[in-house]
Amino acid sequence: MTIVIGIESTSHTFGVGIVQRNDYGIRILANEYSKYIPVRGGIHPREASLHHAREAPRVLKSALDKAGISIKDVDAIAVALGPGLGPCLRVGATLARFLSSYYSKPLIPVNHAVAHIEIGKFVARFTDPLVIYVSGGNTLVAIQRKKRYRVLGETLDIPLGNLLDTFAREVGLAPPYVVNGKHQVDICSEWGQSFIDLPYTVKGIDLSFSGLLTASLKYAEKIKAREELGDICLSLRETAFDMIVEVAERALLLTGKKEVLLVGGVASNNVLRQKLDTMAALHGARYEGTPPEVSGDNGAMIAYTGLLLYEHGTTIEPEKAFIKQRWRLDEVELPWLPD
Amino acid sequence: MASRLTLLGEGAEAKIYLLEVFNTKLIVKHRISKPYRHPLFDKLFRERRTKTEARVLSKLYSSNLPVPAPLFVDPFNSIIIMEYVPGKKLSDMIYQLNKDVVNSIAYRLGEYVGKMHRLNIYHGDLTLANILYSKNIDRIFLIDFGLAGYSTDIEEYAIDIHLIERSINALAPELSKSFVESFWQGYMEGYGENAHEIKNRVHEIKMRGRYVEERLKKRLEHERYR
Repeated sequence: MTIVIGIESTSHTFGVGIVQRNDYGIRILANEYSKYIPVRGGIHPREASLHHAREAPRVLKSALDKAGISIKDVDAIAVALGPGLGPCLRVGATLARFLSSYYSKPLIPVNHAVAHIEIGKFVARFTDPLVIYVSGGNTLVAIQRKKRYRVLGETLDIPLGNLLDTFAREVGLAPPYVVNGKHQVDICSEWGQSFIDLPYTVKGIDLSFSGLLTASLKYAEKIKAREELGDICLSLRETAFDMIVEVAERALLLTGKKEVLLVGGVASNNVLRQKLDTMAALHGARYEGTPPEVSGDNGAMIAYTGLLLYEHGTTIEPEKAFIKQRWRLDEVELPWLPD
Repeated sequence: MASRLTLLGEGAEAKIYLLEVFNTKLIVKHRISKPYRHPLFDKLFRERRTKTEARVLSKLYSSNLPVPAPLFVDPFNSIIIMEYVPGKKLSDMIYQLNKDVVNSIAYRLGEYVGKMHRLNIYHGDLTLANILYSKNIDRIFLIDFGLAGYSTDIEEYAIDIHLIERSINALAPELSKSFVESFWQGYMEGYGENAHEIKNRVHEIKMRGRYVEERLKKRLEHERYR
């Protein structure tokens, strides 16, 4: 039996997850987190890191309580060392280095993007999916090849989550960005009636959202009624999601995969899920999204990926465990992936 | 009539049929409606792409580049009928070719792409799946210009090259180094003067990618020596 604890602090969420491997398989014992919600504006890295430092001991304790174990029962400490916001990453890394050296437990470095994909695969029971990873910091399409996730296509400028959040903020809809599991842009779309032609930028399997954002904000400056803002939200969302689905479709046909997996923070969006599901069905592929508990940033995905790494002998000395603000998905070699 | 139409394949946005008339093979490309797209957007979208593709194909064909000749266009039903060109997708057969052949393909591809960019045309979806290679006649053809367009901005040209580099990297990492080198040799030939500007831009685009380590280092060095 192996128990691994995972610490996540790359961005707005401080999370601690605990997973266990026994003879029957892998189980998530706890997945506790605390989310930093800005009073106004977007994520302020220092404010977020202060929040994490304040919340860290409480979240850690509540995760251990929930799992019914003590830190001494843990076999290894996994931590997301990047990519992410420096000040936030440092909180998680500091805690992990301390736990590792004080209790003499091996430390495991986890790439946040890899963790998102691995937990998605685990929940969906997929082995070789086409991965669509959409969040506040990433928008990319990837496949497994030669022991790595290879990025087939990605955003050339801003990520999808960033597009939706920035628009919602600039037109005064946010914060809060998400209400009852629905993004403000989705709520606003419900007022929309007609479709505005907005910039649609797909380059092969790459895409670009910055033109779409600028054009939408320009339209938003001129509106007089609430319904008109609805039209913009609807058109913005449809255009952005159609771009993602088209890119996914191109990648699916290029690679001939039979599984389509949606992961990352925006994976909890119902509209996007439906579109991708429809697209996958057209080509006889199975679609699986990631449930909200593990699609947003969380500690369980770090613990789970840490467990896989630990079983394959990947550990790091605490004094060498530096954070990596930039750490691309395709840089990480993963022993369990096929050649 | 309908019996002479055979479905050859289905791309991301269109169905490709083979049509035989008077013993001549023709290709019919029909852009299909997508259930996941907003209906209002769907129509606009297909019409626009059909028109662009036809326009670009005719320009390239008349400039002697290896593309199928467009013969008939119906933007309202989003149909293009074009010449049949032989060959298989490079993405399907690159593993079976030896290194010299791959490099020779890469050189010619670079030359054609360079000439295309000289005409202010970008492809917009330049992957190995959109390049046909015929072993028998040892020729390559560029296909699928649905994302193509006219531009004088070298950014668009650089993105084409960025896409082909990434495509080879993803599909055949072991061939990619020599492929890219040969491609650039051909490109220098085809594009001629100022090809290095595009080369610099391709590098710049790569550095723009999310979380690229080199980008951070560069900035730190810059700050240090200022």
